Amino acid sequence: MLKEMAAPEKTAPCSSAGLSNYFSADHPDEDKWADCVHCGMCLEACPTYLETGQEQHSPRGRVHLIKSVAEGKIQLKEQFADPVFQCLDCRACTTACPADVDVGGLIEEARGQVRQAMPLKGWKGAVSTFFLKGLFPHQERMHTVSGLLKFYQKSGLQKAVRTIGALKVMPDHLASMESIMPELQTPVQKKYKDVDVIPTKGVPKARVSMLTGCIMDVMFGDINQSTIDVLTHNDNEVTIPKKQTCCGALHVHAGDREKGRKLAKQNIEAFENSEKVVVNAAGCGCALKEYPELFKDEPQWKERAEVFAEKVEDISKYLYDTGYEKPRSSLNKKITYHDACHLAHGQGVRHEPRQLLKDIPGVEYTELSNADTCCGSAGIYNITNPEMAEAVLDRKMENVPEDVEMISMGNPGCMLQMAMGVRKYGRKSEIVHTVQLLDWAYQKDEQNAGLEKSIAVAGEEEA
Amino acid sequence: MGTKEVPQEPRKDTSVSLADAFGNRGAEVLTPKSEEEIAEILQKANQEGKKIAVEGGGSKRGYGGTKEHYDYTLSMAGNKGVVEHKVGDMTVTVRAGTTITELQDFLQEHNQMISIHPNWPDQATIGGVIAANESGPKRLKYGSARDLVIGLRVVYPDGEIIRTGAKVVKNVAGYDMNKLFVGSMGTLGVITEVTMKLRPKPKCESLVQVSVPEEKLQDLKDLAVRVQDSMIEPVSLELLNTALSKKIINQEAYTLLIAFEDVEKSCRYQEEWIYKHKPEGADVEVIHQQEAHHFWKTFKNLEPSGLTAPAFEETQAVIKIGSKNMDVYEIMKESAGIEAGVKVEAHGGLGHGISYYTLSGPERKVISAIQHLRRTAEEKKGYAIVKHLPYHLRDEIDVWGKKTSYFFLFEGIKRTIDPKNTLNHQRFIGGI
Amino acid sequence: MFGSKKRKKPQRDPHINKLIEIVGEKEVLYEDADLLSYDCDGFTVHKAMPKAVVFPANTEEVAAIVRYCSTNNIPFLARGAGTGLSGGAIPLNREVIISLVKMKHLLSVDYENRQAVVQPGFVNLKLTNSISDKGYYYAPDPSSQYVCTIGGNVAENAGGAHCLKYGVTTNHILGLEVVLPNGEIIEISEAGVPDSPGYDVMGLLTGSEGTLGVVTKITVRILKNPEGKQTVLAYFDHIEDGSRAVSDIISAGIVPAALEMMDKTAIEGVEAGAYPVGHPDDIEALLLIEVDGIKAGISEQIEEILNVCRGRNVREVKVAESEEERGRWWANRKTGFGAMGAISPDYLVQDGVIPRSRLPEVLENIYEISRESGLRIANIFHAGDGNLHPLILFDSRKPGETEKALKAGTACLKACSDVGGSITGEHGVGIEKKEEMRFVFTDEELEAQIKIREVFNPDDLLNKGKLFPTPSRCMDVKKIVKDTVAVQ
Repeated sequence: MLKEMAAPEKTAPCSSAGLSNYFSADHPDEDKWADCVHCGMCLEACPTYLETGQEQHSPRGRVHLIKSVAEGKIQLKEQFADPVFQCLDCRACTTACPADVDVGGLIEEARGQVRQAMPLKGWKGAVSTFFLKGLFPHQERMHTVSGLLKFYQKSGLQKAVRTIGALKVMPDHLASMESIMPELQTPVQKKYKDVDVIPTKGVPKARVSMLTGCIMDVMFGDINQSTIDVLTHNDNEVTIPKKQTCCGALHVHAGDREKGRKLAKQNIEAFENSEKVVVNAAGCGCALKEYPELFKDEPQWKERAEVFAEKVEDISKYLYDTGYEKPRSSLNKKITYHDACHLAHGQGVRHEPRQLLKDIPGVEYTELSNADTCCGSAGIYNITNPEMAEAVLDRKMENVPEDVEMISMGNPGCMLQMAMGVRKYGRKSEIVHTVQLLDWAYQKDEQNAGLEKSIAVAGEEEA
Repeated sequence: MGTKEVPQEPRKDTSVSLADAFGNRGAEVLTPKSEEEIAEILQKANQEGKKIAVEGGGSKRGYGGTKEHYDYTLSMAGNKGVVEHKVGDMTVTVRAGTTITELQDFLQEHNQMISIHPNWPDQATIGGVIAANESGPKRLKYGSARDLVIGLRVVYPDGEIIRTGAKVVKNVAGYDMNKLFVGSMGTLGVITEVTMKLRPKPKCESLVQVSVPEEKLQDLKDLAVRVQDSMIEPVSLELLNTALSKKIINQEAYTLLIAFEDVEKSCRYQEEWIYKHKPEGADVEVIHQQEAHHFWKTFKNLEPSGLTAPAFEETQAVIKIGSKNMDVYEIMKESAGIEAGVKVEAHGGLGHGISYYTLSGPERKVISAIQHLRRTAEEKKGYAIVKHLPYHLRDEIDVWGKKTSYFFLFEGIKRTIDPKNTLNHQRFIGGI
Repeated sequence: MFGSKKRKKPQRDPHINKLIEIVGEKEVLYEDADLLSYDCDGFTVHKAMPKAVVFPANTEEVAAIVRYCSTNNIPFLARGAGTGLSGGAIPLNREVIISLVKMKHLLSVDYENRQAVVQPGFVNLKLTNSISDKGYYYAPDPSSQYVCTIGGNVAENAGGAHCLKYGVTTNHILGLEVVLPNGEIIEISEAGVPDSPGYDVMGLLTGSEGTLGVVTKITVRILKNPEGKQTVLAYFDHIEDGSRAVSDIISAGIVPAALEMMDKTAIEGVEAGAYPVGHPDDIEALLLIEVDGIKAGISEQIEEILNVCRGRNVREVKVAESEEERGRWWANRKTGFGAMGAISPDYLVQDGVIPRSRLPEVLENIYEISRESGLRIANIFHAGDGNLHPLILFDSRKPGETEKALKAGTACLKACSDVGGSITGEHGVGIEKKEEMRFVFTDEELEAQIKIREVFNPDDLLNKGKLFPTPSRCMDVKKIVKDTVAVQ
């Protein structure tokens, strides 16, 4: 019975009016749920609802629960935590909602509350601590890991491990994640550590700063390199502020808002002098843009966060808005595009990356059906909620045509997850970042130009 | 009517021979002039345990019913006239005894129409058409009575007057009680007033008749499939068998009637389309406006009815078959197997799944033809009911076919509304 | 359940154990925190907790659940996506909710016979999406079609913007499989054959708001896409001219696919919402008119519509020049309700229907109700079929305003029924408009309907307390409404 539930078993964390069973600091924002009219238009957009069919795992159900805690109907316990943490944080509901309810924001606030009430234990806690506290915020440790991983790959150990099946000692889903680890490149942070401004070839038209990201830089250093190359190719000088750190998205998703704030402050300071902050990881970009959300109780920081958020732009949108050279060389591939949730739903960037792809000669573009449905990666969701993540991935893969040669996207998490999908279904499609394709086309342009030049020179010589 | 006794001065019955042939006839005919009178008659009869047969124009006297005699015939002939019509509302409220022709003539002046086109429009009343759920070939586009009736006034057997629906075209307040009375064969209540959705009278009408010799019947099916798969929007896709074609358009061939009702440009465009896609060797005739009108008028008066004096030497029956759309074709093809000696005139809608078969011939052969058709229909998950047959044969062959598995719901509904079986007793399925 | 940990189980109700036996552990919710999400549907004024929510996977499981409930005298009801706007799926009697969302498959499509068979949990728009590559669609298009289920559509006899020409759900249902309240499975017109002999039980079930049976399979009619489509937008300086133009268009013998109207307040709302079109802010009304059909014939009808509008002093009238423009006009209209959020913290939507020709006077009455109550009312509605949606704008935080809004809503329905209209065109009665049923039906007429319910549902265990006013319960509802703060 509700009444029994409402009767506090221990002491209610907070009893201030209107908040009922929430802690007073940084509680879910009443104005956010007040907009929800419970119309249900979000249901079909929500991957976890589609999978479970149960409304507590739907956006409006979660909002209803978040509201119910405030109304004193339920407590910050497992039955509340479960649906709130099952959320992929994909924001598809935000797009579907006619009343613009910020479900994502509410969920993150609610997670913060849950983590205060019931800290994580067990292996989930361990994994979480390892990734979120021990690793991501520390560039040097990330680089060490990167070094180790690289050693692991290059030494042939990886091959050996894979062959002899030592992976079996790891939990299944971690094993399958390991199997899709990309070949590692040198992180750009490391590579450009002594360079202040990466110059353009021609006359610079703008100077932008780049967020290198943690996973991106460690696992996909080549994508960061491509990003730099594409930016400079289009006459943008690039800086990589040294003090930047992890964006904190994963911490905020996991309910560790305190750590999130700490990282946010560091980044805000690190990019204080930048005019534009270009990001190639959708999840990071979205998190940076949402920094103001973290500082409801710190007005000064909130203001700084707002100024900062204004400067943040996804690489595809930045290129689209400021203009880019259309490549002349052909990439003759059949390509489709997967909308990273935090790009499409989180930042409203849908058209721009598609246009980039379509501007590359020879690209046979096919639209993916349900392109903006989550792939199940969702930060470290695929590590913490493997079953659901896999179910969501299965649904995603159903929509990927067998004959596409490349699946392009704008987020490293998605890239790992989709790589798992491709592998699981025995597909041949390559997983690429949109900006890589542009970079490769430019490289081809240069090669061709070089070739033409040498032919021309040769011709002249002959004459 | 006030306190006067009912029945007062029963109208003398003059058509004894018809009554004898088709049954469903009361010992006395009552022709009340108002709804109050109807209510009083019903209430009294109900109290006294009398049985009433309800009748409009009498065209469906041969439709269902295993009772030869009732105590009264309640004739609706005295309840005529349009109660309310607003052009801009596109709805009309009309008394149940108004004939289809009377109603259409009235609406015609306002360039509107009711879009059910049942048989025997000069005799059939709107109340009867709705109670029997009659429709015509154009239901492909316009739907049937259940799609068009938006409100009714019904007198219950106990004399209570119940309104169902409203005078609005969209309404979900309460149960959709209209549906209960549409097709209920007058077994639940007496419909006194009908409110229907109207359609604008089409600006242009045309009818394309595509005929092929017997062995090329498949071509017509293929054409129908292509039509259905295209963007064109015919109001009918009625397939006629050779006997019926011969009778109406003097063509010894299967004929597909493809009708268009739209603005002129659309009609022409669609006629052209048919020309372009007509089967090789098919005979195509296009008629327009008055001519088309005239055709349909003839078409609607072909089948025998309760008002047709039965021929002396032969038995006539009309069968209504419901099937999946394209099974209309299959069933017609198989109907060729009906034994010689029975004349079979058939038409059916390839887009709506309702077919009619008029059978004439020696009694026994007609009966076995009915059984043949019923078997064929039921094999295809359809049904065959006999909508016109002399009384003495209706006893022999169950005109409604087998009972459905949920027949108990029908019984329950009947028991709830008419516990004493006052109205049209045994007229309907399972002897309801 | 996915990733959820096993929870400590308190002593479980034996009925719950039985339900678990039928559908399995994962498919039954019974703990209060899980049940909370099911305490209301799209109508949020009233809330009540169910006993359990069960997720059957097939007809047999539904029948087993229903049989168990009926034998043990446990109230139960069926629920689809829970988007209903009248509270039809709210468990007033601690019902066992039978959620049909897991029966969500498209079972078959038969293009030649133009029919499709779906399970009740199949989402409306998915049907159209599944057959559109062949040029077909499913006509009923309620604005919740992205999420609402066809089973729910059958229960509510759902309408939509295009039902003016193509009819509502009941006109598109060819066959039903139903579990009756005693657990018996019946199949009505299994093959989708028309005019099934006997009383039209299918017609009765459609729109019965889940009180006569639980639909487990549906055969629907599918239609071919029209060849052409054109859309007109007309601005009027006077609302009366706009209303009269509606009637004139219909009188001119045109059957538009859709004929929608918005008044000044509504326009203010949509222009402040997510999809502004740039409508002038000083007009009193706009009409959005769509004609479809054979391409060759459309322009003629459009010309006629333009003439009708000009005859009614239209300020500006234009035809959409591209699919993109047409899309923008429709997005602006279809998100209209949600957009009201931009100009008011709360709104209450009503659903009255009137004869088209009475539009001017009824609108005037509604404005009078607005003046009297001191609340703004926006009108955004299906003018073509006289289905009004007055949106009563209010602020639930202001004391007394919720009650005022509810009263104004009732007054709007009264204004509709007074001209021979209805209290609901597509949202249903549910619990919201039970009392207002008296505006349109006499006690005898209500009794006649209740008697029909008793044939199907003699013990009133299935969705009890919906649709019909019952003296004692109505008082309760009114009281609860008064006590409730949150409205929409």
